[in-house]
Amino acid sequence: MTPASLFVQDWRAWLPDGDAAGDTHISTEARPAGRSVPAMLRRRLSNPGRAVCDMLADLDPEGTTILLHASRHGDGERTLEMLYSLAENAPLSPARFGLSVHNAVLGVHSIASGNRRSLQAISASGDEWAALLDEACGYLAEGAPRVIAVFSDAPVPARFAAHAPPDRGSAAVAAVLSPAEGREIVPAPASGEALSALDALQPVDIIDWLRHGGSLTSPLRGRTWRLDA
Amino acid sequence: MTTELERELKQLIIDTLELEDVTPEDIDPDEPLFVEGLGLDSIDALELGLALQKTYGIQLQADSDDTRRHFANLRTLATLVEERRVK
Repeated sequence: MTPASLFVQDWRAWLPDGDAAGDTHISTEARPAGRSVPAMLRRRLSNPGRAVCDMLADLDPEGTTILLHASRHGDGERTLEMLYSLAENAPLSPARFGLSVHNAVLGVHSIASGNRRSLQAISASGDEWAALLDEACGYLAEGAPRVIAVFSDAPVPARFAAHAPPDRGSAAVAAVLSPAEGREIVPAPASGEALSALDALQPVDIIDWLRHGGSLTSPLRGRTWRLDA
Repeated sequence: MTTELERELKQLIIDTLELEDVTPEDIDPDEPLFVEGLGLDSIDALELGLALQKTYGIQLQADSDDTRRHFANLRTLATLVEERRVK
């Protein structure tokens, strides 16, 4: 569990298939501008990657904050489709290979922003949000004044969709977490039969929770987080 | 004066390397392609080598001085393709 307190100081989100209803935290651009990244670097980023870089530039303009980036599947278009090239004995695209690693987006962002703090990429089989908060608690307990937790995902390629969680569109969210300032995240264990009916959390769930507050439950290890509206 | 092959190579470079803000007119045939000039990087060099192999059947050695020379600018690249293409 997470004994230390966590607070949400600020957040940004990218929700291309959703309705922001005038919420200034949320961008709904189909193709994020990626303005924070020079064009020669930006060209290799996918849409979620462009969105993540822009949100980070907005929340951490000085490039001095520890960054955590979770994604369940990463860039599935690159990683999973490369497996077919391998199976067909076709040569692999070096650019695709280079950007297929899980920490590629933070890597590109760090080059563009000059951020030399800890940058961590996470995948947690559907428990990404819990993993992000646990990691954040660790950094804050070590004395970091704040960390930024990012969670992004895009639907996996169509031929893998039957093996993946329900397709709820692409989305990304970035939250500035601090040990004392902002809206408190109050954790609690969750149990009961209803848990098994819940799907693993996706970025859209986190965005909804940050907008409206209330309870957010991850069924995998039975954890709930409450946030005041 | 830009040849038909040079035009074709400009488009190949733009498409293969996803140069989203670059038009064929932006690529000066005599300017360097890498680091300076167009500003391509080492991953682009590998990607371009792969595209030449797929499109023209040209096999290159990544670490040879010849390859360095061929990749200097668009004109040297066009000369390479003229001399070595098998398709």
